[in-house]
Amino acid sequence: MNNMTLYVKKDSPVHLVDPLTKLLFTFFSITLTYIVSNHLAVLLILLCTFTILVAGKVFKYILPVIGVSFLLILSIIIVQGFFHPDRETLLFEVGPIPIYKEGFSIAFLITLRVVNMVSAFGVLILTTKPDDLVNALLRKGLSPRFGYVLLSVLQIIPQMIALTGKITDAQRARGMETEGGLWLRFKSFIPLLGPVILNSLNETRERSIALEIRGFNAKGPRTYLHKHETYRYGLHLKILLTVIFVAVVVWRFVS
Amino acid sequence: MSVLTVTNLKYRYPAQDKSIFALNDLSFTVGKGEFIGIVGRNTAGKTTLCYALSGLVPHFFKGAYGGDVHIGVMDVLSYEISDIAAKVGLVFENPFSQMTGAKFTVYDEIAFGLENLGIPREEMHERIRASMQLLDIEGLGNKNPFSLSGGQMQRVAIASVIAMKPDILILDEPTSQLDPEGAEEVFRVVGKMAEGGMTIIMVEQKMEKLAAYADRILLMHDGKLIQDGKPAEVFSRDDLELYGVEPPMVVKVSRTLQVRNEETGLYPITQKEMPAELDIAFHVVETSGKNTNTTSEIVVRNLHFGYENGNDVIRGLNVSLQGEPIAIIGQNGAGKTTFVKLLKALLTPQRGEIVIDGVRSTDSTAAKLASRIGLIFQNPNDQIFKNKVIDEVMFGPLNIGQSPEVATENAKAMLELVGLAGKEEENPYDLSLAERKMVAMASILAMDTDIVIFDEPTMGQDYSGKSKVKEIIHSLYEQGKLVICILHDMDFVADTFGRTIIFSEGGMVFDGPTREAFAQEDALRAARVEQPHLTQLARKLGYEGIILKENELQTANMFE
Amino acid sequence: MKSMWSLKLSTAALVLIPAAIGINYLGKLFASLLKLPLWVDSIGTVLASMLAGPIVGAIAGIVNNVVYGFTTDPVSFVYAITSAVIGLVTGIMAYKGWISNIGKAIVLGLAVGFIAATVSTPLNIIFWEGTTGNIWGDALFATMLAQDMPLWLASFADSIVVDVPDKVVTVLLSFLIFKGLPKNVKNMYDNTGEIERI
Repeated sequence: MNNMTLYVKKDSPVHLVDPLTKLLFTFFSITLTYIVSNHLAVLLILLCTFTILVAGKVFKYILPVIGVSFLLILSIIIVQGFFHPDRETLLFEVGPIPIYKEGFSIAFLITLRVVNMVSAFGVLILTTKPDDLVNALLRKGLSPRFGYVLLSVLQIIPQMIALTGKITDAQRARGMETEGGLWLRFKSFIPLLGPVILNSLNETRERSIALEIRGFNAKGPRTYLHKHETYRYGLHLKILLTVIFVAVVVWRFVS
Repeated sequence: MSVLTVTNLKYRYPAQDKSIFALNDLSFTVGKGEFIGIVGRNTAGKTTLCYALSGLVPHFFKGAYGGDVHIGVMDVLSYEISDIAAKVGLVFENPFSQMTGAKFTVYDEIAFGLENLGIPREEMHERIRASMQLLDIEGLGNKNPFSLSGGQMQRVAIASVIAMKPDILILDEPTSQLDPEGAEEVFRVVGKMAEGGMTIIMVEQKMEKLAAYADRILLMHDGKLIQDGKPAEVFSRDDLELYGVEPPMVVKVSRTLQVRNEETGLYPITQKEMPAELDIAFHVVETSGKNTNTTSEIVVRNLHFGYENGNDVIRGLNVSLQGEPIAIIGQNGAGKTTFVKLLKALLTPQRGEIVIDGVRSTDSTAAKLASRIGLIFQNPNDQIFKNKVIDEVMFGPLNIGQSPEVATENAKAMLELVGLAGKEEENPYDLSLAERKMVAMASILAMDTDIVIFDEPTMGQDYSGKSKVKEIIHSLYEQGKLVICILHDMDFVADTFGRTIIFSEGGMVFDGPTREAFAQEDALRAARVEQPHLTQLARKLGYEGIILKENELQTANMFE
Repeated sequence: MKSMWSLKLSTAALVLIPAAIGINYLGKLFASLLKLPLWVDSIGTVLASMLAGPIVGAIAGIVNNVVYGFTTDPVSFVYAITSAVIGLVTGIMAYKGWISNIGKAIVLGLAVGFIAATVSTPLNIIFWEGTTGNIWGDALFATMLAQDMPLWLASFADSIVVDVPDKVVTVLLSFLIFKGLPKNVKNMYDNTGEIERI
């Protein structure tokens, strides 16, 4: 059953860390790479992130996720490398095209930042079950109604994807063509997407009813089936992360 | 003391014409432990009544509301849905949309309502275990709700509301979207709960089940309560069909035989109540005789197909299809739908060939075949996207090259045929699901193909819908079209088709006259298909042969 | 609708959010199956705004990018703000009557595209010095930089080229679908109906 998640089940210390701590890490890690503009520092942060991924036994799973951003990275390297406004120091020339050191330097920095962004999120999403994260947020005061929205998306999208085959069959059975010129393909977009939309909007009524009759809007205090997961060192880690973060920020602005 | 009191209940949906009341002056009471059946045609207001009893009307739907509903002493109008939810559990047709979507296991899914009500943890676990046991789903606790079959899902839905310990359980056609096996699973647990003394209100089209369980039946029509009486009283009405209700088979047979209880004048409603000393004559009536119409011909030779390699769904099928309408029966997963998709070239055979009037299907594309073969899928919601019925019906005809004039004409004729004349300009999603099925049917029929294939046309249809489908099948055959029909409803097969093919595990285990098909006990068992109710009844009344229609039974003295 | 800013969301409006995100997802999926040169990945957000107002639209937008970030591409977190703004603008303008006819819907599409580009530009500059990862947009960006135009202008042009045509098509499709929705669906998300006692 596809539940729409990148979560990889492994037995590692990173998996046992409080999801909120990992969320904090992700935020700090990304923010820091944008606060410091020193190549070496950014590289160090990236290495840190990689180390955590390795410790979480999920390093190889981040590569395809980075791959999704390949086009963005490639575009950054080419465009910034060749055309960045600061074009002073000529690095070398490829035929008639001059390549400047400043542009490449910037392109390299941004690439490091993008890779770190994706990897830092990877620390969170590869090692955390989405429902654990949402449950952790719920305990911190996220409204249960909003928690419902986050969790149901993960299950409803695969159900909707499963519809695509049926709809394509039904419309092809009525003589709709899906291959041909651009206009023809564009014309078949609505017959394909239309039933999905009508189906899912219509279903919102039934699902709302199903929720209502199970007390979704009850005003009284609610309870939880599962005990609160206790994560070890949650507070310590959070304090540690915050200290590091503040230290780097101070260092950046003092030096 | 009654658990439910309804007094002069009136209700109109918002944005509705002032004169159209979905519920019109209903009054009745329900006592603790009673089992109430609600019957009537698709537009009778049964679902709206279920909403009113669970507080969704008026709190969720708003609109205009008159009269009172009391659950025990609780006045529905002055409480919120979440308060009423603890007293009244509602289960409806579509099992899929009753899963909350926010829980990843069946166990947690059942907990959803309990968490909202603030039930202490220990008690939650107890209640969940108890309701899983009652619904026979103990083994499913760790499964993802969406990975279950329809019948299992529906039982999870029931378990989820039962765990909230309601005083009353309302079931609104809980089996209409399930296959026979799933439906049987649900009925089994409903029977169990009824015996356990739970107060149950059930809307249902399968009258046999209501005849067996119900203490009382409410017959509804156009938002009004026509009768509130004992099952025997309601089912003995001679005008039942006018209200879109088909009486149980025993009643139909008793009507034909004129077997009434001498004191009450009522028909027996279950087989047990049939007088044992009846002298019945059985005579087989062969209708229409051999077919005279010529139709297109499909020849299938050594057909093989599998979705995964080495796991064939269709295994070496050989058959010739032509002439009178053909029924295909067999359990889910037997390959019936795959077979018709192959005929329609939506799938490509891995081996073997399909020849349609001398042309191999592989030499043609699905889009080209669209003008030769029409395939009507089970779920109309997978295809409907236009905002007017007429445009939806014209989509196929225009695609296959009919001129707008011809397409309009065909579309109108077919809407007339399926009984939707006058609804051309309506939005398909403002119609009921049963009517949408008819729209989908018309949209294929308007393509005027030589061959028409139906996948489960009777599912979710009431009595009049089924009669309509039967009429359509006959009229297509009279126009010289080849009609093939996948069906789960054996009563309908017996009544409508001359030729039946039994599918089991990707092959045909029988192909021949319907009367012989239902005599193949081994083949039927292999395909997990039951004989028609009438056939079973005749057998119990002492007839060894196969009876397919009511007019094949007569009391002996009727011949004198 | 009494006010479009009501934060008290009905259950139907909440359940609309996952549906909208699913529609976004399938819009994108079908567009790529049909090899259309557009994303059309926000039809659901736009429809949710038209049906249930700017708040629901904005939440749908944010949750869409967060979930997409979680399940496919973390970079989409960055554009959560853009998605929220798409939902907000559509919801406000729809409420003010900009979906009463097709001409107005085109204007709405242009406005949504323009504002989306405006919001995306600073994000693009902060996070990747101005590029978008879209080949045509970045080609324009590079050309403008080569002619020594300012970075922000080049980046804005990059976003405009990418966003405006896509959003015009998205809003137009959504408008056509919205107009065709049955009454009972359109009324469902309205939280302010009264019970009339008869």
